[in-house]
Amino acid sequence: MKKYQDTTLRPAAMLGLNTISGARVALFFVCVPLLLGFSLLLGPTGMLWPDLDSPVERAIMSLRFSRLVMGVLVGGALSVSGVIFQAILRNPLAEPYVLGVSGGAGLGATMAILFGAVAAVPLSLPIMAFASAVATLFLVYWIASRGSGGMPSVYSLILSGVIVSAICSSLIMFFVSMASAEGLHNVIWWMLGNLQPVSFNQRLFSALFIGIGIGGAWFLASRLNALTFGREMAHYQGINADAVIMGGLLCATLVAATAVSMAGMIGFVGLIVPHVIRAMFGPDHRWLIPLSAVGGGTFLAVCDAFARTVIAPIEVPVGVVTALAGGPFFLLILQRKMKNAWIG
Amino acid sequence: MGQAALTFEKVNAGYKGMTVLDDLSFQVNEGEFISLIGPNGCGKSTLLKTASALLKPVKGRVCLFGKDIRSMRQVTRARYIGVVPQKVESPMAFTVGQIVMNGRIAASGFLRGLVEEDFVVIERSMIYTNVLHLKDRYFMELSGGEQQRVILAMVLAQEPRILMLDESIAHLDINHRYEVLRILKRINREKSMTVFLVSHDLGLSSEVADRLILMSEGRIVAEGRPEKVLVPEILDQVYDCELKVQRDPVTGSIHVSGVLENFNGSSKKHKAVHVIAGGGTGIELFRRFSLQGFRITSGVLNEMDSDAEAALALGIDAVFEKPFSAIGEEAFQKASFKAAKADILVVSDVPFGQGNLINLQLAKEAIEAGKKVWIAEGIAERDYTEGKQAVEIVRKLHADGAQAWTSLHDLMKELKADH
Repeated sequence: MKKYQDTTLRPAAMLGLNTISGARVALFFVCVPLLLGFSLLLGPTGMLWPDLDSPVERAIMSLRFSRLVMGVLVGGALSVSGVIFQAILRNPLAEPYVLGVSGGAGLGATMAILFGAVAAVPLSLPIMAFASAVATLFLVYWIASRGSGGMPSVYSLILSGVIVSAICSSLIMFFVSMASAEGLHNVIWWMLGNLQPVSFNQRLFSALFIGIGIGGAWFLASRLNALTFGREMAHYQGINADAVIMGGLLCATLVAATAVSMAGMIGFVGLIVPHVIRAMFGPDHRWLIPLSAVGGGTFLAVCDAFARTVIAPIEVPVGVVTALAGGPFFLLILQRKMKNAWIG
Repeated sequence: MGQAALTFEKVNAGYKGMTVLDDLSFQVNEGEFISLIGPNGCGKSTLLKTASALLKPVKGRVCLFGKDIRSMRQVTRARYIGVVPQKVESPMAFTVGQIVMNGRIAASGFLRGLVEEDFVVIERSMIYTNVLHLKDRYFMELSGGEQQRVILAMVLAQEPRILMLDESIAHLDINHRYEVLRILKRINREKSMTVFLVSHDLGLSSEVADRLILMSEGRIVAEGRPEKVLVPEILDQVYDCELKVQRDPVTGSIHVSGVLENFNGSSKKHKAVHVIAGGGTGIELFRRFSLQGFRITSGVLNEMDSDAEAALALGIDAVFEKPFSAIGEEAFQKASFKAAKADILVVSDVPFGQGNLINLQLAKEAIEAGKKVWIAEGIAERDYTEGKQAVEIVRKLHADGAQAWTSLHDLMKELKADH
């Protein structure tokens, strides 16, 4: 009888074909709750155990918890999106915004803010951002596939993504230059990205979307492994490469657009977390995707804890913290461990 | 011999606006070791892509074990045919074990993941190709030969019934090449797996293959046992160069080599040839003659004409007339002087008009001097003179002993025979 289990998950998998170090995974999953707990307890006056009997502290904790959830969702979404884009585009420089998701979402959000929809219609900002991000991906995909007759090549995808992004940025700048001071502030603040909790319903829907996207990507994980050898080789192996690419792009865009609609544009997470997870645990996507989801979420939550406490009561944009605090740490890891992730 | 494994039925295939495979039909039987040979650009890779459904045929049918490839699911097709490409690269640092596992992914389905049996297959194919000891090494760190064996293991893990290799062993050094070939021979023999090797190496192909298929310009020129296909008469034509075919008296293997020295050490004085050309018709003649060591003169050519440029570039002793003007008396006299010193006179398939008709006079002088004259066939189609004067002159020249040539290949052969 067949045993329906993945032998690679067993510590003593046959042949030593287990692709991942069990000890490292265990350590990772011990660190995650500790770090999350730390960011929950970190306040402007340092780490304090909250007095849950006092209504004020309970309110504060509830607010912090909401932000933690935001951080975990957005960070996980951006990281997984980065993993998928890097795998499909076979390019270490790929990140969630590479195919114009940021440009599109930014343009949608800017218009929603400046043309007054935000004040008039509830949820119009995230919906506009999400819709225009997804629309941009389809536009990029369409442009890229026209030249090549059928499936677009990786290079035409990247190129048209970059160009469409640039066009969107110019349009944003144009709108911003025409805007009032107040509108300008709103747009800039949105674009810097922040994790201030959105409404419960929006969080629920976003969690659903992100869950679907990450789940879908995990589902494709072993095929993404095969796809890193190029579309032709994957085809020879009986994998429907075009469908995997299409599915992967959809998942990646779904989660990235959702993240952007929740928290604006937070840079750096989607680029660097996948690299670090890959450097620590190897490039097998069956592991890379869930570990990046957890790792990215934790990373962003911790960064946000710093962002709201470092110079309290002023809040530093979390994107600044991800880059400033995370950058050097990640460079260190990459320097030592790059060999485990990418060739070179 | 087993059943039909791979069948092409009148297949036309190619890329946008360009047909590469031209009405191609052939059959490969199960258990055969086939080698597909042919010059660069003859359609070998296109054939391989068509056989593996990467490219849809424009016309005709490709069948694997009697089933049309178009109506086949990807997974099913991968169980029939596995392809080892020329070079496989992954930008990410996968280990050998992870890479070989890729071979089982399609077969394992979306939901179930790899099971015990899959690992048995993976282990077996790694043992077969002797890469088991490398399982924890990074793929891209391995040598070319090891990488090739790992890819072979990955494809074998698919458990295909036909194995296609696209020039995969061409860049390996001799011991790794033979190591891979021994593996191929062994699976061919033991598992009666059909092996379809696309190769540049004629000698090697003849050594390992039961049957060779020789392709040229999208068609099959010859197929059969190596000694039937690797004969100079066929190869010279396909590769358009002079080849030597030698059989090893001990092993019976066939060795094909090109000719490096044009004159096989002869100390004879190189013959001189005068070429009448124009409009680019002479470039290939110049090139071939100079490769063969002839001394070349040419003219009269008009300056700025592509043949004139080529003659200048190749340092050919040529006579020029001003651009776009009729050949004058002075230039003709010079050319006549040069042509008189040549041993042979060759007329390219240059069109004749009033302006350059006088060049044919050079041919007439050569005939009168008892020299060999070769004139490209089909003068009627490129005679733009009034009253078809060139046709008339050429007719007379032929009557006086001038010979006609149709293909460069034949012309070169004839001239060398004379040499």
